[in-house]
Amino acid sequence: MNTVKLYIRSMSMLIKSQLQYPLSFFMQTIAQLIMEGGEMMAVILIVNRFEEVQEWTGGDLFFFFGMMSVSFYLTELFGRGITGDFPSMVRSGRLDTFLVRPRGVLTQVICGGVDPRRITCIAVGVAALVMGSRMSAILWTPLKVLALTESIAMSCLLIMGLFMIEAIFCIHSVKSVELVNALTYGGRSACQYPIDIYPRPLRMLFTVIAPFALTLHVPAAWILGKPLYGLPTWTAFVTPLSGIVVFVLMTFLFHRGIRFYRSTGS
Amino acid sequence: MRAYLVVFRMRLLMELQYRGAMIGGILCQMFFGLVLTALYRALYAGHPQSVPIEHVVSYVWLQQAFFRMLLATDPDLLDKIRSGNIAYDMCRPVNMYWFYYARIAAQKLMGSLMRGVPMLMVAALLPKGWGLTLPDSPLGLLAAILSLVPGFFCMCALENVTMGFTMRTLDPRGIQSMLNLLMMTFSGNILPLTLFPDSWQRVITLLPYAQLLDAPIRLYTGEYAVTEAFHIIPVQALWAGLLIMLGTGIWKANRKRMIVQGG
Repeated sequence: MNTVKLYIRSMSMLIKSQLQYPLSFFMQTIAQLIMEGGEMMAVILIVNRFEEVQEWTGGDLFFFFGMMSVSFYLTELFGRGITGDFPSMVRSGRLDTFLVRPRGVLTQVICGGVDPRRITCIAVGVAALVMGSRMSAILWTPLKVLALTESIAMSCLLIMGLFMIEAIFCIHSVKSVELVNALTYGGRSACQYPIDIYPRPLRMLFTVIAPFALTLHVPAAWILGKPLYGLPTWTAFVTPLSGIVVFVLMTFLFHRGIRFYRSTGS
Repeated sequence: MRAYLVVFRMRLLMELQYRGAMIGGILCQMFFGLVLTALYRALYAGHPQSVPIEHVVSYVWLQQAFFRMLLATDPDLLDKIRSGNIAYDMCRPVNMYWFYYARIAAQKLMGSLMRGVPMLMVAALLPKGWGLTLPDSPLGLLAAILSLVPGFFCMCALENVTMGFTMRTLDPRGIQSMLNLLMMTFSGNILPLTLFPDSWQRVITLLPYAQLLDAPIRLYTGEYAVTEAFHIIPVQALWAGLLIMLGTGIWKANRKRMIVQGG
């Protein structure tokens, strides 16, 4: 409980400090809005030209896009310490100070960063979700709301877990490893479209190694009333749990990795 | 003139040093290329378009290969402005604009050649429908390479215009990411310009962003006939000239109101 309190306190402090430069903050927030708006424009143009892909209509595509961008940017908002700042913490030796404090390293890293500018990206994602749900005429039931919430929460944990792979590599090699971006940013680009349009190797990659298909596509397809591969209803609630599995596994590996951490000495 | 060439050569050599980062970058970019190819193939499966899929796939690969040409910035300058070290640059007996132009040109050229050439070789070996196809005609290839030259000058000039705007603020992230997004969208990196609505084509192909990579790629795939190169290359050269003029203007104005931060 103490950890949660600590997290909330450091978040509010960090947000306050970021708001000290209101104009710069405002500009950057608008920039984020335009950036994510640009991503969405690409989807709109694709829907405008192709109308549908396999069994997915334009509305379905917006819904998938919205779920992915809400999950991804929620993670970037609250997990900035892992998703963005970690390599520089290792390189500059800032991580050393975390090791001597009486709290877990991971807790401190996550408490160490927040990125409130992402709020506009999340807003774009929500807009896409609403648009998609309208266009595909989804009939919302409490169960569907539950599935949506669970799916987004689990996808956040999964994305966090994937960024932790980069952090673990970074502990060993100091330099950030660009290749891991294929899983994180590549996962976002690929999985903002339904998984079953891709050829087998890509489907395997995003089902087994980085299970976006399980945390995001299975429940989303069920909500849209077109279950993926005809899977039964209960899978929409069980498969997303793979997100927490990845997160726990990566937390374990992270703590193992920290034992081999050597300070850069600067 | 010699001074700028020396700067250019030094930066070329420096960029050559980062070979380790290059391999990771290539693999990552290849992966993005594959994902995009898979996506467009799926989209095309039920809805063939006037632009053949092979052209779109080649477009994706060429865009990915020259990604470093689009998005490479010189981090030193902004650091210098923040720390006040810009004072040293202002003492140099060279024109600051062209000094940085030479630096960014070297960075973009070497960065994209080192990544682009191996990537395109691999992309050409991929099975049919997945990889880079051969150019429409040998003349088309020649025209594409020729138009890459003014495109390249345009790109460096555009980078300096962006830099000119960002120099004015100490915290450049907002404006920089906005200008970069404009470039990524309208240069065809996020979505091939050939897939934008047909009614937009007339306008977007005239924008400076389309001169960078879109025009050479269209000449390569045969979207533009070879003879059209005769009026595409002048348009590119015109934009390069205008952007350089705009850039030098902004830099000159900035130089007058430059504040050297103490520290």
